[in-house]
Amino acid sequence: MSTNLIWGAVLIYLVVAVVVAYLSRGEATNGKGVDMSGYFLGNRQMNGFVSALSYSATTYSAFMMVGLAGLTYAGGVGAFGFEIVYFAGVSLVAIFGPRFWAVGKRFGFVTPSEMLGHRYGNGKVAVATAVASCVFLIPYAAVQLAGVGYLLAGMSGGAISFTTGVIVSTLLAILFSYIAGIRSVMWTDSLQALFMIVASTLVALLVVHSLGGFSELFDTLASEHPASLSVPGPGLFSFTTFLGLTIPWFFFSLSNPQVSQRLFMPSSLKSMRQMLIGFLIFGFIYTVVSVLWGFSALVAFPELAKSDLATPTLLASEHVPPVLGVIVMVGILAAAVSTIDSIMLTLSSMLSRDVYANVVADASEAKQLKVGKWVLPIIAILAFLFAELQLNLIAVLSVAASTGLVVIVPAIIGAFYWQRGTAAGALASIIGGGLVVIYLYLSGVKPLGLPAGIWALPVAVVLFVAVSLVTRANRERANEFMETARRR
Amino acid sequence: MNSRRWIWLVWALVLSCYVVPYGLLGQVQAWYGSFLFWFVVGVLVIVANIMITQGFKDESGS
Repeated sequence: MSTNLIWGAVLIYLVVAVVVAYLSRGEATNGKGVDMSGYFLGNRQMNGFVSALSYSATTYSAFMMVGLAGLTYAGGVGAFGFEIVYFAGVSLVAIFGPRFWAVGKRFGFVTPSEMLGHRYGNGKVAVATAVASCVFLIPYAAVQLAGVGYLLAGMSGGAISFTTGVIVSTLLAILFSYIAGIRSVMWTDSLQALFMIVASTLVALLVVHSLGGFSELFDTLASEHPASLSVPGPGLFSFTTFLGLTIPWFFFSLSNPQVSQRLFMPSSLKSMRQMLIGFLIFGFIYTVVSVLWGFSALVAFPELAKSDLATPTLLASEHVPPVLGVIVMVGILAAAVSTIDSIMLTLSSMLSRDVYANVVADASEAKQLKVGKWVLPIIAILAFLFAELQLNLIAVLSVAASTGLVVIVPAIIGAFYWQRGTAAGALASIIGGGLVVIYLYLSGVKPLGLPAGIWALPVAVVLFVAVSLVTRANRERANEFMETARRR
Repeated sequence: MNSRRWIWLVWALVLSCYVVPYGLLGQVQAWYGSFLFWFVVGVLVIVANIMITQGFKDESGS
């Protein structure tokens, strides 16, 4: 595909998205008295439709059309099952969403870590949660950047380098989050989400059609790659690997602050419902499309050196007309950018609200906001450096990030359901659990032959419960918090 | 409040995502095997969430 066509499409996307970002500026994010809740939460006034599209664009990223398609290419239908378990896990929003929303409104929380610090009556819990989120989410953001790098390099046949792709997406993410905070993120997200789903669905249908239709596609798979239609399949998805991948991802909607922070934002519970159902419909279509994409690549190009190249190769092939291919490429670029800018914005809100404000004595809202805006590009540069390491099979890397974040889940569930949970228990589970995950990934050790993804949650649960039981709970604070969550 | 019971359908579906494809469908190497199974689970998850959130109203909630 010609480099000019690719750059032309990227430029059009950039101009349209920047215009949308500018139009999204409002009193809450760019007015005179803008505060933390205005800039990072849109004053808790987001409507259901924009929230649904933005939640989708934030969750689904380069991982889907590049990583999941690659995982399907390499491991067969197990990749679909993995994503469906994640998908079912988003149902946690139906349970926890109204609770987050109610306590957020009552106590004025801006970040999920701030919520935990308040609930356990200890600022250190907020600091630990914020730091753990940075440690694991910056690699996750880097995964998205690498996705763009692979994509642009693959589609241009190397004319656009991996590094150029990574730099372009980093700059776009900084721009979209800077212009109007969460409002520009959510409005550009919405535009990008619509673009992602329409373009990728159309092109997937086209590719399947050019390969002879659904029945032909599955017949070819059944005759030439029969193992790809069952699990464990070609070998990637052994039962323990599947468990190790799915357990952390099941809790994604709670453990990842860039999505759990969204639970503070809807203007009403009705908007939250629209956000959840809208996301589920979007997510289901996008999942099926990404999996069909991976299967199509397997049928069309069974001999690729790297499974991450499945999508770019397919897009650049004769099965996709160049203009449509480049539209989907922009869709994937948009998907990556919309995830990275949300992560950057959330992490900067956590660092300013939970770390800076807890360490510095007189941290006014205005100062917090200023620090937050300074931190944004620093996070972006860190993610950029990580992406440059070019680690293989980006999906597995991003799962390492989810494994790390799952250690926050016991403290979150405990906050709403277990009065006896204590600050010491929360700290032990987040810090201890986090260190265990890092050790398991760095050393490659698999106790009892099980991967880190399986160990992270039980280790964190045991630490949370055991340490809570031997320390004193702040009953008054717990009651007030849990009562508010229940009343909603 | 009854709408909350639908969450149990979700838990059951999640469990089945492990048991059925790895147990019953391990030998079925066709579209009507694990692919179809996980597809149907996805649709049922959407239905369950529509039911669970029925009571999400404008201000007060369920």
